Amino acid sequence: MNHIYHVDRNFKKLQIRFAILKLIREFLWQDKFIEIESPTIVALPGQEPNIQPMQVVVHDDKGKSFKGYLHTSPEYTMKKMLATGFEKIFYLGKCFRDEESFGGTHNPEFTMLEWYRQNASYYDLMDDLENLTKFINKKLKFNNKNIAKKWKRQTMKQVWQEFIAVNLDDYLDSKKMYKLCVSLGYKPAKTESYEELFYRIFLNKIEPFIGKDVPTIIYEFPKCMASLSKEIKGGKYAERFELYYQGIELANVYTELNDAEEQKKRLQLERKTRQKNKRLVYPIDEEFIDALRAGIGNCAGGALGVDRLVMIFTMDKNIDNVLGLPMSKLFNKEK
Amino acid sequence: MAIITEVKKGCVIKHQNDLYLVTDARFTNPGKGSPFVTAKMKSITSGKGTEMTYKAVDEINIVEVQKQKLQYLYKNGDFYSFMDNETYETHELEAEIVGDDGKYLKDGMEVYGSIFEGRVVAITIPPKVQYKVTEAAPAVKGNTASSGRLMKDVTLENGLVARAPIFIKEGETILINTDTGEYCERINE
Repeated sequence: MNHIYHVDRNFKKLQIRFAILKLIREFLWQDKFIEIESPTIVALPGQEPNIQPMQVVVHDDKGKSFKGYLHTSPEYTMKKMLATGFEKIFYLGKCFRDEESFGGTHNPEFTMLEWYRQNASYYDLMDDLENLTKFINKKLKFNNKNIAKKWKRQTMKQVWQEFIAVNLDDYLDSKKMYKLCVSLGYKPAKTESYEELFYRIFLNKIEPFIGKDVPTIIYEFPKCMASLSKEIKGGKYAERFELYYQGIELANVYTELNDAEEQKKRLQLERKTRQKNKRLVYPIDEEFIDALRAGIGNCAGGALGVDRLVMIFTMDKNIDNVLGLPMSKLFNKEK
Repeated sequence: MAIITEVKKGCVIKHQNDLYLVTDARFTNPGKGSPFVTAKMKSITSGKGTEMTYKAVDEINIVEVQKQKLQYLYKNGDFYSFMDNETYETHELEAEIVGDDGKYLKDGMEVYGSIFEGRVVAITIPPKVQYKVTEAAPAVKGNTASSGRLMKDVTLENGLVARAPIFIKEGETILINTDTGEYCERINE
């Protein structure tokens, strides 16, 4: 009965969860978005250096086996759709990432809202996120004053200035970032990538303090940390933002890179990092590159962690409490 | 050198020439950057609290501590008292260090004490503990987070209130997971 007891304990929270799923759809449908479906089994998943996909084996009627993976995000499928002329689309469903913690702010199987807008930039998606969350806040009669307020929007450069008093412009390569880490008392390995070094500081000294009261959007990321997003003039930063609230990262959004050759180059680099990090390695999805060649226009796309959004409205610190059956209880590891 | 998954609540870490007791450890695989563990720590010498984030490549010095079976005696003000059953020696530990685990302690319960330089610096409670139910009112629908169809609040012998199935009666014994506070099963004696 442990699975049933889990549901019973969280009965009211799950009611809120399902109401939120309905409200997300209502909000986007009102705005003429089309809900699309994406296969959850793919042959070639994303190349993000630190995301590990789950492997699956599929057999056809003759018993021939095919190696696939559960998608870590519907991004490639959705961009293939954009290339054929779909303009405003969203996916609200499961994504899977292996080697995540069971509980806390992660569950290996989680619910993601991914949405794309044609002829838009990431500024439009900042508005989408703010309006959607405010819509839920109102419709649920949750009426959180901080969510209802005008949200804070700060550049990455501004928060580095605010929290550790450095000009990020001066620390845009690994060598300089390494020195900064050392001067702040960290002991990074000489081989660490720019991103690793960046996050050593960001995760310790900055992230826990942003969006404590009011939801906060942090935008303009160093270019090398935004593999799928459009570069900002000047070449130092890229059009990527993340949404933070109560110390949790809720969403990650880009103005999408639409240059096929540049994209391929970046994915090849990421693939190499995967090899180095001893992650599963597979070829680049050329069909995805073809989609960019065919043209996805000027579009922006984002991913919102729906379970984490639910946690805001149920005031939970553990994702398990907002899931019908969390991974931590799936295997009845307790017994 | 230890690996980051070894950093757990109750372990002692040598950090900047001081010894720290880990009071909470959270493992995160953020997707961006490599996995890390965030440890909340308290200095054994000064009591000062700090927080550290360790990555897989970092050097972590976990200090070996001796584990000793102790018996819980009582709570006195801000301290919990335990007895070493071999030496009959009494050890006291601050309530703040025992933290949330304190609510699971019951008379005579056996715990493991981490001994460092002759004194108890932390305790580890069993992952599952049996308790006698002292109060089990019928379920009331609508006043709790759950549906009220399957579970209700019960009071246990040490005063702890837990959610348990509605069929549980006063005087019965149930098993509680001390990590989550959740009901596991009824013990048939």
